[in-house]
Amino acid sequence: MKIKLIPSNEQDLSRVFIFLLPLVVLLSALVNFLRDAFMSFSNILPGNQILNYGFLDKVSNQVSFNFLFSFILVLTVVYLLSKSLGRSIIIFPIFFLTGLGLIGIEFVDVVIGFIMPEQLQPLGNTSILLLLKILLVAAFLGLIFLNLLAKKEPSIFLSSQFLIGAVMFYLISLLIFRNDYAVMSDNFFINSMYLSTHIYVGCSFVFLAILYFLITKGLQATLFSKTLGTISFWGYLFLLPWTGFKYFYGTTLPDWIENVSIYLSISLLIPLLALIVNYSKTVATKENNEPIFSVLISFAFVVFGITNVLQIVSSVSNVTPIVSLTNFEYSIRYGYMYSLILIMIPFVYYLVPKIYGRELVYGKLEAFNAYLLGVCVVISLSLNALIGINSGFAWNAGANAGNPTIYGEGFLITWSLISAPYTFNLFLSLLFLLGAFLFTLTVLKAIIGGAVTESETVFEIPGDYDE
Amino acid sequence: MSELLAKVAEILGAPESLVQRSAEARAEASGNTVDEVLQSWAGGESIASSAPPAAEAPVEEVKEEAPPAAEAPVEEAPVEEVKEVADETVHEVVEQVIEEETVELKKESSLAFIIGVATVAIFTYFFAFSIPKNQSADLVAESLNNEIIVSQEVLKGAEVYNQLNCQSCHTQNVRLLIPDSQNGKVLKNKFANETIIKNTGLLRLGPDLSTSATREPTNNSKWLARYLTDSASVRDEIPHPNYDFLSATDLDYLLTYLLSLGEVNE
Repeated sequence: MKIKLIPSNEQDLSRVFIFLLPLVVLLSALVNFLRDAFMSFSNILPGNQILNYGFLDKVSNQVSFNFLFSFILVLTVVYLLSKSLGRSIIIFPIFFLTGLGLIGIEFVDVVIGFIMPEQLQPLGNTSILLLLKILLVAAFLGLIFLNLLAKKEPSIFLSSQFLIGAVMFYLISLLIFRNDYAVMSDNFFINSMYLSTHIYVGCSFVFLAILYFLITKGLQATLFSKTLGTISFWGYLFLLPWTGFKYFYGTTLPDWIENVSIYLSISLLIPLLALIVNYSKTVATKENNEPIFSVLISFAFVVFGITNVLQIVSSVSNVTPIVSLTNFEYSIRYGYMYSLILIMIPFVYYLVPKIYGRELVYGKLEAFNAYLLGVCVVISLSLNALIGINSGFAWNAGANAGNPTIYGEGFLITWSLISAPYTFNLFLSLLFLLGAFLFTLTVLKAIIGGAVTESETVFEIPGDYDE
Repeated sequence: MSELLAKVAEILGAPESLVQRSAEARAEASGNTVDEVLQSWAGGESIASSAPPAAEAPVEEVKEEAPPAAEAPVEEAPVEEVKEVADETVHEVVEQVIEEETVELKKESSLAFIIGVATVAIFTYFFAFSIPKNQSADLVAESLNNEIIVSQEVLKGAEVYNQLNCQSCHTQNVRLLIPDSQNGKVLKNKFANETIIKNTGLLRLGPDLSTSATREPTNNSKWLARYLTDSASVRDEIPHPNYDFLSATDLDYLLTYLLSLGEVNE
């Protein structure tokens, strides 16, 4: 096994990423677990400036939604873009440096969070590096466009379409995040749009890019319909950015935008149905019958489906006021993130033999881990949705007010409804951490001790823009 | 049949799955059974070829079958492997089958796609964000003229509150709905300070704080100080972080800010 510090092509770069990715997932799971622990037992555990719920929540957002997301995004772009464009990446050194810079800057933001906790924003990002981050994402997007214009394939494959959409909205989300807060409604506009463009669009588009690659190439199946894939792409691209406003129902946002958000969220049914049909019909023709590999993809797809259903359910006019400003939105936010993490696992398993030339055997450990992570995520999302509904009902029943002269009295009713799911959620976070550790273990085991097999070979073909 | 398939695969030096699919396509084209095709490939009589049926393989699959030279993985180059087979009949048949799976890809313009995605992104930025945000700001500015003036101590306290991320659990009465408005007026004021706007919160896990300074016991600074530094000593049924690591000055600022909540709603 040889890992080059300065990769000369996308295969070499992917090699570095695959080695590090499980460790980043592990870091994210660890921070999430610590945050949940300091949520449920904050009055028992010893706290300090770092170990307290408020700070850990900020770090958790930065690690999961920025650092891990950018890591997965760059890895996926590096590996899949050339595959779907039919040529090796042009101006690779600049491409490599931009991708590395993007991941690096997200990591630096994590470090800054520890050194200067006051700089870290609640949803991640520090104001110090935001401008630099915008420039890097813009450069990354520009290089992707350049590659797209130089493509050899006559068609634009679905995976690359989704990747381009993800990077485009990554840039938009950062531009939104930079806006000034002048009046109170700006708080909801900026954060809601940031969430929907960065997490909803970003995570789901990278997820879909990998999904379409794995169900065709990984499962050796024939894509049922590119038209349905295109419907999913444009459908999600148009609809998802608008869906976040509904969780601020009843706030000082203009009524029309809350209503538009509700209607467009219900319309998510269209791309979802197109995706379900395309997925099921495509998977029916699979020739790779490795059960664990299929199970991992299925779990990721189910989690993505559940997240979409939660989006649609929360748009029903009777439900929206209840779930607004509650943990229900958390389950959606994490649903997109978890589906991305779950689809990364079979993707990495698929890439280990291709990139490292080492066989990955699907044994009992891999099978156990697949079910552990899948079940854990599904229950965790359901619990967060339940917490959201319970607390929403309690707030709307007046629990927030309680006795008008005594503070927090009504909250005891709410807490009695949600404390048990919170504690169970903490247990699930621990199991997810275990799953992330086992994932790391299986990948390292395969890379270090797997039987030697044939790896992919890249033949350099000079292109019009090659240096 | 599996033995026959394995035998043919061995002769051809191609994966069984490819041979199986090729045989099926060949059988369909020639009107024979798959077994007959396989037997002919294994050394029996060759089967007369007929016109290949129109291929229906969607584009994504075509790419997988015939990857571009730049990315061709070793194990996915069936055409070259078939060429090595001595039997010319088999060679011809397999080549024909592979030809049958090749379809013309529909040309898609990269530039049109880039323009499409960029247009949606720009449209979203302006129509879902920038325009309604400005519209909302104008409405607030027009309807309210009661700018709130806060002291430096309150402002510093608001910054401590923001840095501790208290707003990740507590809102400050942001909804116009009846269950919320019984706490007091909803904050619609034209604020001049970014920190105070951010402190209104986005998720309500703990109780709303908009009127905490007007209610018992949170209007009592001593109780509040004790609760913030050792919450279990005054209320152990609900977990709340302890901020005993705060400096005395920061704690004072935070208390000043919390004791001002309620005033800002008037």
